[in-house]
Amino acid sequence: MRRLARWLALAAGAVLAFPATAQAPRNGGELVFPVPSEPPSYDGHREETFGLIHPIAPFYNTLLRVDPNDPGGTKPVPSIAESWTVSPDGLTYTFKLHKGVKFHDGSEMTAKDVKATYDKIIFPPPGVGSTRKGAYVVVAAVEAPDPATVVFKLKWPSASFLAGLASPWNFIYKADILAKDPNWYEKNIMGTGPFTFVEHVKGSHVVGKKNPNYWDKGKPYLDGYRAIFMRDSAAQVAAVRGERAHIQFRGFTPKDRDNLKAALGDKITVQESPWDCILMVGINHTKKPFDDKRVRRALSLALDRHEGSKALSQIAIVKAVAGVQVPGTPFATPPEELNKLAGYWTDPAKSRAEAKRLLKEAGVPEGFSFTFSNRGIPMPYEPLGVWMIDQWRQVGLNVKHNVIEARAYFGVIRKGDAEVHMDFQCGYIVEPDLDMYKFLSTERNPANYGFYQDPVLDDLYDKQSRATKPEERKQLIRQFEKRLLDEEAHYLMTLQWHRIIPHSSKVKGWTITPSHYLNNTLDAVWLTE
Amino acid sequence: MAVTPHTVDELTRAAEPRSGWTAAVAKFARERPLGAIGGAIILVMVVMAATAGFLAPYDPLATDYGAMLTAPGPGHWLGTDAFGRDVLSRMIYGSRTALMVGLGASLIGATFGGVIGVASAYFGGRVDLTVQRVMDVFFAFPVIILALAVVSILGTGVGNVILAIAVPMVPRCARVVRASALSVREMPYVDAARAAGYGHRRIILRHMLPNVMAPLLIMATAFLGEAILLEASLSFLGLGVTEPTAAWGLMLRGAAVEFAESAPWMAVFPGLAISLAVFGFNLLGDSLRDALDPRLRTQ
Amino acid sequence: MAYYILKRLLAIIPTLLGVAVLIFLLLRVVPGDVVEARYMGEGGQFQSQDLMQIERKKLGLDQPLWKQFTTWMWGLAHLDFGLSMWTGAPITEEIQLRFALSLQLAVMASTVAVLLAIPLGVLAALKQDTWVDYAVRVFSIAGLAMPSFWLGILMILSMLIFFKWLPPMVFTPLWVNPWENLAQLIWPALAVGYRYSAVGTRMMRSTMLEVLREDYIRTARAKGLWLKLILTRHALRNAILPVLTIMSLEFAFLLGGLVVTEQVFNLNGLGMLFVEGIARRDYTLTQALVMLVATFFLVVNFVVDIAYAWLDPRIRYR
Repeated sequence: MRRLARWLALAAGAVLAFPATAQAPRNGGELVFPVPSEPPSYDGHREETFGLIHPIAPFYNTLLRVDPNDPGGTKPVPSIAESWTVSPDGLTYTFKLHKGVKFHDGSEMTAKDVKATYDKIIFPPPGVGSTRKGAYVVVAAVEAPDPATVVFKLKWPSASFLAGLASPWNFIYKADILAKDPNWYEKNIMGTGPFTFVEHVKGSHVVGKKNPNYWDKGKPYLDGYRAIFMRDSAAQVAAVRGERAHIQFRGFTPKDRDNLKAALGDKITVQESPWDCILMVGINHTKKPFDDKRVRRALSLALDRHEGSKALSQIAIVKAVAGVQVPGTPFATPPEELNKLAGYWTDPAKSRAEAKRLLKEAGVPEGFSFTFSNRGIPMPYEPLGVWMIDQWRQVGLNVKHNVIEARAYFGVIRKGDAEVHMDFQCGYIVEPDLDMYKFLSTERNPANYGFYQDPVLDDLYDKQSRATKPEERKQLIRQFEKRLLDEEAHYLMTLQWHRIIPHSSKVKGWTITPSHYLNNTLDAVWLTE
Repeated sequence: MAVTPHTVDELTRAAEPRSGWTAAVAKFARERPLGAIGGAIILVMVVMAATAGFLAPYDPLATDYGAMLTAPGPGHWLGTDAFGRDVLSRMIYGSRTALMVGLGASLIGATFGGVIGVASAYFGGRVDLTVQRVMDVFFAFPVIILALAVVSILGTGVGNVILAIAVPMVPRCARVVRASALSVREMPYVDAARAAGYGHRRIILRHMLPNVMAPLLIMATAFLGEAILLEASLSFLGLGVTEPTAAWGLMLRGAAVEFAESAPWMAVFPGLAISLAVFGFNLLGDSLRDALDPRLRTQ
Repeated sequence: MAYYILKRLLAIIPTLLGVAVLIFLLLRVVPGDVVEARYMGEGGQFQSQDLMQIERKKLGLDQPLWKQFTTWMWGLAHLDFGLSMWTGAPITEEIQLRFALSLQLAVMASTVAVLLAIPLGVLAALKQDTWVDYAVRVFSIAGLAMPSFWLGILMILSMLIFFKWLPPMVFTPLWVNPWENLAQLIWPALAVGYRYSAVGTRMMRSTMLEVLREDYIRTARAKGLWLKLILTRHALRNAILPVLTIMSLEFAFLLGGLVVTEQVFNLNGLGMLFVEGIARRDYTLTQALVMLVATFFLVVNFVVDIAYAWLDPRIRYR
């Protein structure tokens, strides 16, 4: 109990310790941060790992970006585009570009480059791959009427389009280079960002130094940065603790945070946020008895999420009980709504009794055995797996844990042999369109590993996607959520991930967001000494 | 050899050491105290594994979120882990996993290695040469890397881990056994067996294999310890036995680092258990080597 | 002698070919490929088959197996390792720094092991069956028994907690900054060297015991330890030979087999690269690594064999 109290006190301290903005930024210094994985190539349009964003994003700009000072991680703000207008029918977006933006080779960045960049992403030439093409199906054409103006023409009005342009992946590349070789950016770097590329030593580090000609005058504050590749999380923690590194931008565990705070006291500032990542349980609808929604609901009801949150948030990077959106963001489930969802409410006794009744009704015998496939990643897959297996045991289900190697995992799950498995969703921006796409019918989304068809759910998705009024969209999202998690229980949510960044107190000008893909341009970050 | 053997089988038996089982143990303990200590450690481990259900104060799988990370004390002698599971109980049950992996891998590795080694020596010529080349190929891989490749193909889980650990053992056993079998091949009773018209299989299994048991046994004992270590290493890399199974390597993984300061008991005790077990097997293997086969010393 | 050398040298080629075939097939049996690892690795997002096909074609994965194999062999014959499938960079570039690190660590660890093994083995033999002998054996077997990652973790934590000091995080080549370099590598070298000394100590002890049993030394038994040492000095040289042999064979494994140690001490060496290569299904890189380690191992073996043949002419004619 005393341990819990101490922990609560720490958490409270974390909230109070939000970075002070009153101080004037200081120029100079090198920011050092470990990155848990090394970028495979330098092409943000192609890769999907944060291991690219952390060391490479500071070399680039994007058209818009998510407000680096918004802890919600949802608000698109100007970056290379200084302003924009939307036509009344919601089909034409016109962006005015910043003047005097230069690539690191000294050439001027114009609308032509923005158009070439987005053409590559949305309409790649034959033989060139585009990883996130699917996120921009709404775009009909990209135009550059003059060097300072870019126009996007849409096929239908979209609530999430601006957020899409703030994607941290869509680095603005140079048109001339892309015309010569669309794959050039895989092995080379040429951006407009606040830092210029110095070196990348394979298996070791990436170094960037201040871009003296940066278009946003006065920035960046840092002289440079050094991203060091460290696979082992213990080594990352040790680096921060030994004051050899300032910060690690992905996140540490609760225990790491406590250890760092205990060892370094005021020298450590802790920032925490719900994380736009969640592990959920996918249930194969083609396997008996999981085709029966009573069984699926029972699996969900068996989880005492609120008690689990209290315990697991001490040992794993999970915390909040949540629906389909990150808590604290505009479309998140309010507590009173959450309390109406079966299994997500705060009455475990009622849940368990209901779960047992449903299982009996569905003809599932006491001690029924099935296999739960989990991914071979320790945090937080393993603790959640251990927790759930124990929870299911308490309603009379005997579950076998089958751990599959991390990289092979989704290849195996996709074959459809697994009965019940751990699935994963992680957004680079908090946006319902991105976060809920996962749950559409197999027909619409081949990454639906529950293998179900639900036209009603698909229809709700499309409606909310085009609902430009926030209140209306909210209602539709709640209906979607109720059907997905309660009535049909297609998927079960476990606990929302929880991002914990304990960093050196010398680091200022950086705000945590719910995504470890966001806010890594480092233009506003500075060091006190 | 002063005996005058009458049958082939008698010849074979004559080549085996003959002495009273208990007397041999007593002599061994007196002459090789270190080996005896190793034996005692293993005995404790075996007893622990056999009576785990009786010895363990708690269910090794039962989580208790009210008692997470409890320090060693009267309720939990060796404390609890991050899920509130009793460390002592998990350690006791973990000896089962360790023995299972160690014995399983050694048995499979020694059997295949032994048969391949003896057969290779027995047939000689082109067969021997081919087998040697194939073994060389496996030899050129570091053990952990071969094990990693096998786990990547088969997946995790106790059975697959045993196989993954056994595979690298086969060529090493085969090489040692082949060396001894080469000299056994020249023994009169093998010639006699051949003259008597026995089939290859019978000669290999009945006449030659029993006479290379000493080096095989020594290899297997030493490898038992190594298998336990290898399993721990694979678990550490996330490719070994999986949760919630009680296994020493698994208990060390992750937890060993993250909780090393605030809950050192989680890392210290399983680490000690692994070290002691491997220590025991190595002491015993070492002394066996000295006692049974002085020739092996220089290999 | 020249004939013997040639014969042994030629014997390496089929073995290497066998290694090549084995690793080539092993990798293709592991489920999934580099394209899946790249696009389904982080979040299990689904990418269109079009994109996957484009990527596969780029990497030559759409070609039949025999063709992939011959292309690879053809490259190897020209000492061209090709490009890493994961990063697209030349494999020599990927391996360069890691090879320097692994090689240096292997050399340092072997040195530590030899420096521990020879005196300890001699000591144990001279004081056979006394507490000194037992202590030496317990010490060396304990090194063998401790999981290397456990020992490593204990070392790092105690440095951090008691001395508030941490080894450098990034590998600096020896010629750039020897101090930084040694400050990082000395700890893993100690941990690994201690572990590998056990084999050598045991060997040293038993060969010394044999030497000590020889008649002229027995007669000198009563004349004190130092005299005995002097008498055995000549014999010692012969006793060391098998120890060096076994250590040099271990040395080849140190190059690629220190996976766990590299993980614990946060070293970017060949071992970790191998693990990542398999995890990412980076066929070309993993194949190149295996060939590198295998060649190294076979060459060391070869050199040892030749050295033996040089010293003992009987071997040549076997």
